[in-house]
Amino acid sequence: MLRFLFTIIFLIPLLIYPIDIYSGQQDDSSRERAKEILRQVEDMWRGTSSHSLFTMQVKTAHYSRDMRLEGWSKGKEKSLVRILLPLKEKGTATLKSGNSIYNYLPRTDRTIRLTSGMMTGSWMGSHFTNDDLIKESRMEEDYDPFVSFEGNRDGEEIIEFTLIPKPDAPVVWGKIVAIVLSEGYIPLKYYYYDEDMNIARTIIFSKIELLAGRLRPKVMKIVPADKPNEYTELVYEELDLNIQIEDEFFSIARLKRM
Amino acid sequence: MKILTIASRNVFRNWRRTLVTTLAMGFAGFIMILFASLMQGLLQSSERNAVAMDLGDIQIHAESYRNDPDLYKRIDNADELVHQIRLAGFHATHRLYGFGLIAAGSSSAGVQLRGIDLSTEFDVTQIHLHVLHGNWLDQRDPKGVVIGRKLARILGVKVGDELVFLGQATDGSMANDLYTVKGILKSVGEEVDRGGFYMTESEFRELMFVPTGAHEIAVMRPDRSSDLKAAKEQITAIAQDYETMDWRELKPVIARILDLADSQMIIMVIITYTAVAMVILNAMLMSVFERIRELGIMKAVGVTPWRLMLLIYAETFIQVVMASVIASLSGWSLSRYFQKNGIDLSSVSDGASFAGVAMDPIWRAYVTPEAVLIPIIFLFIIASLAVLYPAIKAAVIQPVTAIHHR
Repeated sequence: MLRFLFTIIFLIPLLIYPIDIYSGQQDDSSRERAKEILRQVEDMWRGTSSHSLFTMQVKTAHYSRDMRLEGWSKGKEKSLVRILLPLKEKGTATLKSGNSIYNYLPRTDRTIRLTSGMMTGSWMGSHFTNDDLIKESRMEEDYDPFVSFEGNRDGEEIIEFTLIPKPDAPVVWGKIVAIVLSEGYIPLKYYYYDEDMNIARTIIFSKIELLAGRLRPKVMKIVPADKPNEYTELVYEELDLNIQIEDEFFSIARLKRM
Repeated sequence: MKILTIASRNVFRNWRRTLVTTLAMGFAGFIMILFASLMQGLLQSSERNAVAMDLGDIQIHAESYRNDPDLYKRIDNADELVHQIRLAGFHATHRLYGFGLIAAGSSSAGVQLRGIDLSTEFDVTQIHLHVLHGNWLDQRDPKGVVIGRKLARILGVKVGDELVFLGQATDGSMANDLYTVKGILKSVGEEVDRGGFYMTESEFRELMFVPTGAHEIAVMRPDRSSDLKAAKEQITAIAQDYETMDWRELKPVIARILDLADSQMIIMVIITYTAVAMVILNAMLMSVFERIRELGIMKAVGVTPWRLMLLIYAETFIQVVMASVIASLSGWSLSRYFQKNGIDLSSVSDGASFAGVAMDPIWRAYVTPEAVLIPIIFLFIIASLAVLYPAIKAAVIQPVTAIHHR
């Protein structure tokens, strides 16, 4: 009996270690590759800096909304979006600087820093939350990606990544599954799962066209899983990457002067 | 009947003991009257804060609104319903609710927006009389808002300061506007104190883009002593498509506390009076033992055991009556004093609340006939129980042994 126990106790580490080391090595290189590809995907719209014009259509059970917006970004941490249309809201702007979000409201000529309680609220009435704006740039810090499928699916060569949140990352999703074209690493679909591993929302990329010198999806559509009839659709009209822009552009003082 | 004469003579023979016993009973009675009035005051004020400041007796909501307060879950024919409810003899008003962010300077807080119909709200609640600083809403000043006192403290604003509201209107656009603090409310309850942001109905409709309907209808009985259940049934019949709840269902904890108030009072009385009973028992037992010879002689000359018992009881009741006079006079007058002036608790428990209903920082007593009568009646009951043993002891005395007793 004792011998049996000893065998078990000594065998368990022997069983675990080789596999762990083996899979660890496997993971490290594939994880690095996954990270590298996802970084490229993320940079698709960002570059070192960017300027864009886009429309946003929001459809919900209670309202539909068409907006035209202009955006600037520098690096991962700084971005600024301003409403051009509808006229009623023209000039309303959102500034993201690090982990803070500021809204400039032309009607009142005031700038409000959003509190943590407002982070789960909708951004400009869309299906994006204010939190999405913050978390979007933190994907790499918050998630561990690995390649969960690679090859032909539905006639397209794709790579499927699964992003698992790091143990203590402050995220709301249980996991994210990203599907990217093998060629050019063009994103096709992102599935966001909630903590119970049910699909919570889907982002679909489409209309792959030449934009800012290379093929990129022009349309990005987000569909919440619990309300399949609702969506928010972003359509890029113009995109300029790696433009000249100073840090001061992304300041609260600047918000008002625009 | 000579018994009363003899009894009073006996009572004042050992006047020190009588004084101590009477004062002990009187003091206990006084404390209980004061306690009862203060409890009544606390309960009355919490019921008033819950019902007359905010809830109303009965509320109507769209189905499932209470679990998920959504800007879109409205009572579509609110005006018509309010009209019908008023025709049925009740007071009624409709309200609009929304959520958003308020910023003042660098501080900000989430708020519950409340759109108030100024023409009918006064029939239902007295919130307009509950303003701590500044004034209540005014139709002519749509940008003037009234906020809860904790909210004012969180934001660090006072009357006249500027607030920015940011929220989402029903059309998905960003609702935002500038407001001025017109008034700051006294403590009403956690919800209102921390997040109450009152504005006129017309301003709410414009800001949040809600042209019709309402989120809540609050109903008040004209006579608050009438039957709440029956009133609720009547309202339910009028507002059939919606969810109707009375304030007891809306604030069950407060309702339970109020229900239990009387039994709680009686338990307190019994506990306190048990100690008093010991004092009475001891005093009367002493007075019986030191008069054994005397009682024995009385019996020997033909006084029946019943009359002896009656004598001991009469002696006790003379003291209880004196104690009752002391207790009710002092208890009543001090309670009246606290009813008028209140105890200022603002330094100890500012903004305290229980079950989500605020306690007024000034704790006032409320003198009801029960608050005075229950302690007095129980004093008599307890005294008659306590004196039973000494009385029997006196009644069963053997004249021969008693006369030889020393």
